[in-house]
Amino acid sequence: MSESLPKAADVVVVGGGVVGAAVARQMAKDGLKTVLLEAKAFGGAVSGASLACLGTHMHNIEELPILIEACALWQSLSEELGNSFEYNRSGQLRFILKPEDVAIAERWITGERAAGLAPELLSPKQAQEIEPLLTGPIHAATWAPDSATVNPFLAVRALLADGKRAGVMAFAETPVERLLLDGERVTGVKTSRSDISAGHIVLAAGPWSAKVARSIGLTLPIVARQAQCLASVRQPPSIRRVIGACESAGGVESGYTQIQQAASGQILFNTVMAPQGTPTGAEDRINEVPRRFVRDSIAMLTTLFPSLANILMLRSWVRFEGVTPDDRFMAGHLQDGLLIAAGDNGTGFTRALFLAQLISRAARAATDPRDGFYNPLRFAGGKP
Amino acid sequence: MNAQLLTCDVLVVGAGPAGLAAAAAARESGADVICIDLFARAGGQYTMQPAAPDSPFHAAPQVAQGREAIAHCQALGVRMLLEAEIFWAEPGFIIFAHQKGDAITVRAKTVVAATGGMERPIPFEGWTLPGVISAGAAQRLVKANGTRPGENIVLAGTGPFLFAVADTFAKAEIPLRAYVERQRAGLGTVDLFISHPSRLGEALGLLRSLRATGAHRYTGHGIIAALGQERVEAVRIAPLGQDGLPDRSRAFTIDNVDCLCVGHGFQPVIDFTSLLKAAHRHDDALGGWYCVTDPRTQATDVAGLFAAGETAGIGGFRPARLSGRLAGLHAAQAAGRVLPHYGIDKLHREMIQARAFAARLAQLFPFPAHIADALPDHELVCRCEDVSRAQIKAAIADGARDAFSVKMWTRAGMGPCQGRVCGSGLAHLVASELGKPAAEAGYNRPHMPLRPVPLAAAEAALALADLPHGVET
Repeated sequence: MSESLPKAADVVVVGGGVVGAAVARQMAKDGLKTVLLEAKAFGGAVSGASLACLGTHMHNIEELPILIEACALWQSLSEELGNSFEYNRSGQLRFILKPEDVAIAERWITGERAAGLAPELLSPKQAQEIEPLLTGPIHAATWAPDSATVNPFLAVRALLADGKRAGVMAFAETPVERLLLDGERVTGVKTSRSDISAGHIVLAAGPWSAKVARSIGLTLPIVARQAQCLASVRQPPSIRRVIGACESAGGVESGYTQIQQAASGQILFNTVMAPQGTPTGAEDRINEVPRRFVRDSIAMLTTLFPSLANILMLRSWVRFEGVTPDDRFMAGHLQDGLLIAAGDNGTGFTRALFLAQLISRAARAATDPRDGFYNPLRFAGGKP
Repeated sequence: MNAQLLTCDVLVVGAGPAGLAAAAAARESGADVICIDLFARAGGQYTMQPAAPDSPFHAAPQVAQGREAIAHCQALGVRMLLEAEIFWAEPGFIIFAHQKGDAITVRAKTVVAATGGMERPIPFEGWTLPGVISAGAAQRLVKANGTRPGENIVLAGTGPFLFAVADTFAKAEIPLRAYVERQRAGLGTVDLFISHPSRLGEALGLLRSLRATGAHRYTGHGIIAALGQERVEAVRIAPLGQDGLPDRSRAFTIDNVDCLCVGHGFQPVIDFTSLLKAAHRHDDALGGWYCVTDPRTQATDVAGLFAAGETAGIGGFRPARLSGRLAGLHAAQAAGRVLPHYGIDKLHREMIQARAFAARLAQLFPFPAHIADALPDHELVCRCEDVSRAQIKAAIADGARDAFSVKMWTRAGMGPCQGRVCGSGLAHLVASELGKPAAEAGYNRPHMPLRPVPLAAAEAALALADLPHGVET
């Protein structure tokens, strides 16, 4: 279907993942004529390949007030849209394998409890009460009851459908070739099909945002980081919660694990012991998981859940997260006519609805004191 | 669980006519050869080997051909790995497989992909009812297992393969109620055999077999629906109208049916060659997406990777055997053996001729992808995940613009078969809904694992690849 693109709009959102779909929906609800452009398929890149866990646990203590609100927005959206995207407030267990990681876990718990949340430190026995098949040799675990998951595909679909009801004009298979400039002001986009002029352009293209910005000589500190995941064939209910590795010193760079069972019954799991660097341009060509990753992921899953050792693996996939130097989103004004909401650092779902409101505020010159947290000009002395 | 690391010069993937020919040719050239297949017995579909020693099929010429090819490979010292499923491959080459729960990893200098063809199912009303099976599955049941698929059987669809299945039924003395073929025999058929008179005897033999089944023959007819409550009880068919779809105003029902065998043609199995990033193209006359090869050497555009038989385009037994031999000889050469300096030209000429016959035959029986357009909205397209046509339409209405988006939003093609069954029907429906060519909507990129694999076997097989070179366990 090749509906023709409008020539002009109030806002053009570049990137139809969860962030772009949420931003476009919010803009339209706030009364702006909004066009959403996706290079390939809506939610088909980073968002669709994500495990879509929403939560506050072990993210960033400073960010907690925002995260609490961001998670609440998802819960109300699920209620508003009749739970069309499998919102499941499952809670999250983070396992601890080494005694020295207990102190790190306790620091997180103290900080989160101070913000009014209710995470706990559990013994292996307590963890097993919450997650019966978790019989592997763990030393301890943390428990965050407020974590939830959504179906990443259906969440994007629901945001898009709701956005369209509010007036969003959305186009798949329409890559943006470059931004259009009038002096210093960004005035529109040149797409593979035609040009669109707009008062505001929003970059929400995840790791590809830097490439679009480069078309006007802007260098964004967002790089792609490869992440990957495996899935089993559907199983009877086996894993109730989101299972993760306790965030240890070094954050995601020191390795991570995430295991959960989707509503389909498939068990989704990944473990990266020590991430390798992602080669430049990998996001445009690599589509296979590394062999070492498959071995480590299977080993971790079957260590924690020995009873799953002989289930069948069905699928693997790779995604590329957009990573910023301080692991924090870039959201807000980049320059005249140009906004950004990118730099998911692998956790874009949680913040997507909050960032959508932030970007809409920024476009309408409204302010909120919390928005500065994501100031995209925070690097390199205020210049992008 | 055991874990084995093997090394060889030439790994042949598939032990059908092409694979057996490739394995023998490579071994005759002095290469060390492993041949791997996912079935318990070598032979593939056309030269399938019956399980029972007293099967009436042992006397059939195709079975004899297969038996000889297998015996030849065994005499030459080809190492056969049967009931082994490849789940991953890396260039260079490392192939990961599992065999009845055990892990097998093979390091090979060169590889011949002779992965064969698979049926191209088209969804129609009632196609998921128990008792509706593919023509290929029916042939395998009868020939390999000696199982009778039903008492009152209708064979329907299009293509020369239906004759072969009827021949199988005749040899097993299983009567057929009806034979429903979309095409009418016409001048094209006469022309074909005038150009290729050596094939006429075989064709007449197949026709005699069809008569022997007692089937009522409906040519120029197509299936409208399989009808029934718990399982298939009747089949509704009609003569084809101008648009190539059954003319519903002239439809009638064949009652008291308990088995409907349907075949509309084959497509190349390209998951393995896609995984190794060989170039593929689309040609309906070759069964859709096929692996591109140099017709002289059967080399793909990936160094050391060769493709033969149906993988390189559907063509049937003769091109498979000839291209297999060419591939085996050149794969051995690429692994450091000497190519014989005579015989290649002749093989090549015969292969071109055999391909020409297959191409003419394919033209007489075009793949009727468009019959999926008549699928009712409530009917399933993806049977693993229970996705109906209506759900696919809804996804497109929500903004899906290709089969990948439809898959994300409906789970069509995400089940255990990984789209092998529903892929071509899904691609066609999405494409026709959007007014795009089906080829564009239908390419399904393979991912690890190619087929479901037990976690423990996968882990063990992958671990073997880290052992130093020169080790064989």
